[in-house]
Amino acid sequence: MNRSQINTAAMAAILLVAFGVPLVIRSATYLHILVLLFFYAYLTTSWNLVGGFAGVLPLGHAAFVGIGAYTSTILSLQYGISPWLGMMVGGVLAAIVGVLIGLPTFKMRGAYFALATIAFAEGLRVMVENIDFLGPLNLNGPRGLQIPPMDTGFANFMFASKEPYYYIILILLIAVLALTWVISRSKLGYFLNAGGEEPEAAMALGVNVARSKLAAMAMSSFLTALAGTFYAQFTLYIHPKSIISLDLSFEIAFIALIGGRGSIAGPVLGALLLRPVSDFSRIYFGDTLPGMHLIIFGAVLILVMLYQPRGLQEPLTRAYRKLLDRWAKKTPEVASGGQDRSRGGEAHADS
Amino acid sequence: MLYIIEDTINGILMGSIYGLTALGLTIIFGVLKVINFAHGSLLMVGMYVAYWAVTLTGVNPYLALIIVVPVMFFFGYYLQDIVIQPIFKAEKNVREPITVIIVTTGIWYILDNLTLLIFGPQYRNLPDNPLRGKMLELGDMFISVPKLLGFITAVVTAAGIYWFFQKTRAGRAIRATSLDREAASLMGINQYKVYNVAFGIGTATAGIAAVTLIPFNNVFPTVGVLFDIKGFIIVVLGGLGSIPGALIGGIIVGLIESVGPQFMTATWTEAIVYGLFLIVLFVKPSGLFGQKYDW
Amino acid sequence: MQILNVTDMTKDFGGLRAVDNLSLSIEKGQILGLIGPNGAGKSTAFNCIAGVFAPSAGTITFNGERINGKKPWNLCKSGLARTFQIVKPFASKSVLYNVTVGAFIATRNRKTAEAKALAVLEELNFADKKDVQSGNLTIADRKRLEIARALATGPQLLLLDEVMAGLRPSEVDEMVAIIKHLRDSGVTVFVIEHIMRAIMALSDRIVVIQFGKKIAEGTPTQIASDENVIKAYLGEDYAVS
Repeated sequence: MNRSQINTAAMAAILLVAFGVPLVIRSATYLHILVLLFFYAYLTTSWNLVGGFAGVLPLGHAAFVGIGAYTSTILSLQYGISPWLGMMVGGVLAAIVGVLIGLPTFKMRGAYFALATIAFAEGLRVMVENIDFLGPLNLNGPRGLQIPPMDTGFANFMFASKEPYYYIILILLIAVLALTWVISRSKLGYFLNAGGEEPEAAMALGVNVARSKLAAMAMSSFLTALAGTFYAQFTLYIHPKSIISLDLSFEIAFIALIGGRGSIAGPVLGALLLRPVSDFSRIYFGDTLPGMHLIIFGAVLILVMLYQPRGLQEPLTRAYRKLLDRWAKKTPEVASGGQDRSRGGEAHADS
Repeated sequence: MLYIIEDTINGILMGSIYGLTALGLTIIFGVLKVINFAHGSLLMVGMYVAYWAVTLTGVNPYLALIIVVPVMFFFGYYLQDIVIQPIFKAEKNVREPITVIIVTTGIWYILDNLTLLIFGPQYRNLPDNPLRGKMLELGDMFISVPKLLGFITAVVTAAGIYWFFQKTRAGRAIRATSLDREAASLMGINQYKVYNVAFGIGTATAGIAAVTLIPFNNVFPTVGVLFDIKGFIIVVLGGLGSIPGALIGGIIVGLIESVGPQFMTATWTEAIVYGLFLIVLFVKPSGLFGQKYDW
Repeated sequence: MQILNVTDMTKDFGGLRAVDNLSLSIEKGQILGLIGPNGAGKSTAFNCIAGVFAPSAGTITFNGERINGKKPWNLCKSGLARTFQIVKPFASKSVLYNVTVGAFIATRNRKTAEAKALAVLEELNFADKKDVQSGNLTIADRKRLEIARALATGPQLLLLDEVMAGLRPSEVDEMVAIIKHLRDSGVTVFVIEHIMRAIMALSDRIVVIQFGKKIAEGTPTQIASDENVIKAYLGEDYAVS
């Protein structure tokens, strides 16, 4: 087989495994961990649309998670609207907010933009913590909102076991990865890359850099908000300190940076590598060495920035490609003819 | 009415201390053109150093400056030299050194959690501290003495640093480097040494601020986070790179915090500070006195 | 017909008048050269025309349409492209990727854009390097990439900002050939240059500015023998008499 065929086969195998996991692993604890793993992978991949492709450093994305979570929850609790619909409303709301934030801030220098996103996220958190009622809407301030158990079923976005949640977040993750891949090969993707790398040159080539960034921001905030709803329906309890927290915003950014922002596989790889570290250190060191996983994160982040600024996906992807090449040589040629181009079915943002 | 005057005065005093905490941030930005996201953590480290210096030797916190300032200076110097400098060199030609921001954020996380690990989460304060709770009576008003001392320290420090940068040769060398690295290096100035020194000065300033804070502020691992965020707000308000701007920005924040609760709940004043921050970022990002940073 | 018309253009930066009542025009299909001593205001004039900033006074028309202060990306869509004196390749991407960015101006389809990009590369004898990471190119190749990128946008008028700077004489000759070829394929070219033999060989007409003002205009031969120009700039060697 040639390289791209092996790659496709590998991807299919991974998908198969991912879908088959709940059939093998029945422990609720492990499924829970996996759900959260995919949740973070989804968040960082959505973040990547702005933080990676648009080349800026948003450090307040938890705000959109919060917008999504609160919107769908309030609509569901107070007005009986299906969380799925609420999810969409939350997404649109987040997209609007994202664009409003982006309009003045994308003109700024990187550091200022980062600061602005932090300020916005913290400002939002403080506001939600202090408001009990926003007009007719009950936000319940710092106590947060709890979702009471309802009839389980797809319509209510509520399930008794972990499996349905697992599949939902897995499908969302695959969808967002596919979207990222499509965008990277599209006009918008090229323009975002160009605008992020050399904005002046890009503008002289007909790229409206600001508008591309806004488009990316709208998409990113929309998608991020969807995850907010998912989280609310999964954990059944949301409050400002957990869902609009700076820690969450930073963790999303760190994972993407360590994995490799700007690439498609980077954020997912980052989540795959770092979340287990986080989980294990919390389980094993939680009492004796609190905060250990954050120290590890920080150290890994610095090391990666020093030695692999494009993220860990770079050496990993190279190793993967070498593996593909070796396999391609071993297996017999299928009549596919011609030069294989590395563009193939590979889900990696190439040059 | 009296309360408002008292609040205003206390607001100015506390605000000047805020300005002092933000001074290091603005110095580091002014010279390295980098926003040090770990600044709050450096302040926290300073507070722990000061706390232990006072607790172990029993001296007056302000005397502890003798220990705190050099320790913090060298801490900052070597932090820059060993951890941040390599990224700097790698990003020499990049328009916006975003990676440095990322690295300083990593440093923030490491410092805060390492402190948590080593010293535990408990809130500490100085029990037998002679300054604690001391009030100065001015007619019917009560002015906090530690804050008054902090105000004096802040003004003196700011003036001293301003003088250093304007009048001394070393200071001018640093300013030259900040304006044009290459030209300065052609004049025989080792730009990387300059950065280390500037970072050291910024960190030492945080140490001074820490000393003014410990008489009345609790010491705990994440104490830096709030000052970090306030620090950003202050330097943006006052103008990144401007020393008087830092003080004035701090005073503005201090005033909002102390006078605000007369008119609304305390947490809404927090929201106002954030709102003001965003407004300044959008309307006049160079702040009140900031350098004209080419957009 | 005049593709570009600059009338009484002035640009002030605070108290400094960088460009002073400059007027010039370019005929379609021509190569116009702009020369002048360092600091004369060439790049400023260029940037005004290219939409980086708006002139303080005066009018710039492109194909009869007033373009003062029009944004660079809109100018590009109207057919006015430019290169940069300090080259700005998208360093982490391949040559083909770089040029494709330009080619996207006319289409949404990636395959179409890539095909156009390849065609441009082939036109410039550059297609063999299409997969090279542009950050790894030599300076001469980077300059060629600048031109290829701009060319992919299908411009009617191409502004070249000191595109010869840093090239060896043999590379300069190559570049001259490329630019002449561009003109022959229908692109009007407006060049800023310092390298005299290039500009003399290329230009149909030359405008000379000093201290922001136009001090001479004419064919290369006329310019070379113009007293003002020689005094200001050229030096005896190039005086034709």
